[in-house]
Amino acid sequence: MIDCDVHNNWTSAEALIPYLAPAFREYLERGELPGERGSFPHAHRPWLHPEDFKRTDAAPPSGEAAGSDYAFMREQLLDRYAVDYAVLTGEEAIEVSTLANPYYAQALASAYNDWMIETWLPRDPRLKGSLVVAPQDPEGAAREIRRVGSHPDVVQVLVSSGSQRPYGDPFYNRIWEACAEQGLPLAVHLGGQGGVNANPTGTGPPTFFWEAHALLCETGMGHVASAIAHGVFERWPNARLLLVECGIAWLPAVLWRLDADYRALRKETPWLERLPSEYAREHIRLTTQPLEQPRDPDALWPALEDVGAGDMLVFASDYPHWDFDDPRLLRLPPPWRERVMDGNARALYGL
Amino acid sequence: MTSHRHVVCPASELGPGERRIVELEGSSIGVFNVAGTFYALRNRCPHRGGALCRGPVSGTVLPTADRSHPYGREGEILRCAWHGWEFDIRTGHALVDPSVRARAYPVTVEDGKVVVHR
Repeated sequence: MIDCDVHNNWTSAEALIPYLAPAFREYLERGELPGERGSFPHAHRPWLHPEDFKRTDAAPPSGEAAGSDYAFMREQLLDRYAVDYAVLTGEEAIEVSTLANPYYAQALASAYNDWMIETWLPRDPRLKGSLVVAPQDPEGAAREIRRVGSHPDVVQVLVSSGSQRPYGDPFYNRIWEACAEQGLPLAVHLGGQGGVNANPTGTGPPTFFWEAHALLCETGMGHVASAIAHGVFERWPNARLLLVECGIAWLPAVLWRLDADYRALRKETPWLERLPSEYAREHIRLTTQPLEQPRDPDALWPALEDVGAGDMLVFASDYPHWDFDDPRLLRLPPPWRERVMDGNARALYGL
Repeated sequence: MTSHRHVVCPASELGPGERRIVELEGSSIGVFNVAGTFYALRNRCPHRGGALCRGPVSGTVLPTADRSHPYGREGEILRCAWHGWEFDIRTGHALVDPSVRARAYPVTVEDGKVVVHR
């Protein structure tokens, strides 16, 4: 079983100081921060979880932050659920996308990557790493991908779903190019809703946390449409887009609509050679968590079957967050189970 | 079905607002003192299997038709450690959907000791 979304944390963001480019160290030491000393520089989303977003049983015995204690993570997740590989996605690192200063953002992402590679990956052969980059700095992001992308335990490049523009936009071409060159999927994880990034819903900001959280899947829809329409998968045939924590139930509806409108108006995007849903099936993957829960659990699958989701879904638990999915209780169509829990992620990451 | 008596601890060791999580016959069970009365719930959330009894004990926002947030029932509500569903400690019923119920066990105090019947 492969868990594609496991949040490894630090006990304090000051852990990054030794890994930070010298010019930016004093930003963390003396500069303004969004919280107390040791908080991570980012612009926070305007929706605050009224109970915090961690499982309350995930705080390690030391009392430090959930996800910061490898031994406790091993016991509570890796060993308990017999995880073969856990893809680490960091905690706040993807929030660099909210910062206005792209150079500071990229320096923080690089520091996170070196800290993660040095202090997490060697602990356990089951741990695989995600390279965080600052998408508002595509050139810097591409440099970072080439700098560390060939590390044998790094399996993907990671950005937040909150963005200034959808990720198919040619603004991001250098990121796609570097990912393709390194053979790494681009993973887009829910987050980065704040700061310089666009409002995540088209109607203007929702009001309450639960209201907003349920709608953040809209960011995933935008990236799917954009990557397909701009021809990312024609230009870089080995490019892969992985949506993490953006929901799955909407996928068939969006792909059907994209297919219908493309058929009528293909003249807008003559570089495409296939239907949007065909690109999606080959190039786009989605994590299952938090799996939508219809009244009839089996109501979830027929439409997804139509777009070939059995090949597109990969399991994730989101440990140690509050909307954790327990792999033992996850209800999947029996013919999909092996692929979703294991095979699809192995193929995606070449594990 | 006959239940078994399980002595958990002296009642004096579990004060109002306190809880203890114990293993009884292989099941994890949370024992709670709510304002001097003891209750026991299975430590497994009926929603998605989470560690129910390790979540915070609190009050809750009471039903209201106006745009206010009246707060009450302090100490009577258990919030699951995973997804945050609220449960009435005294009955095990979920507040949002009373048809969802955590397994509750009778608790007595005998000779000054807290006894769970399971």
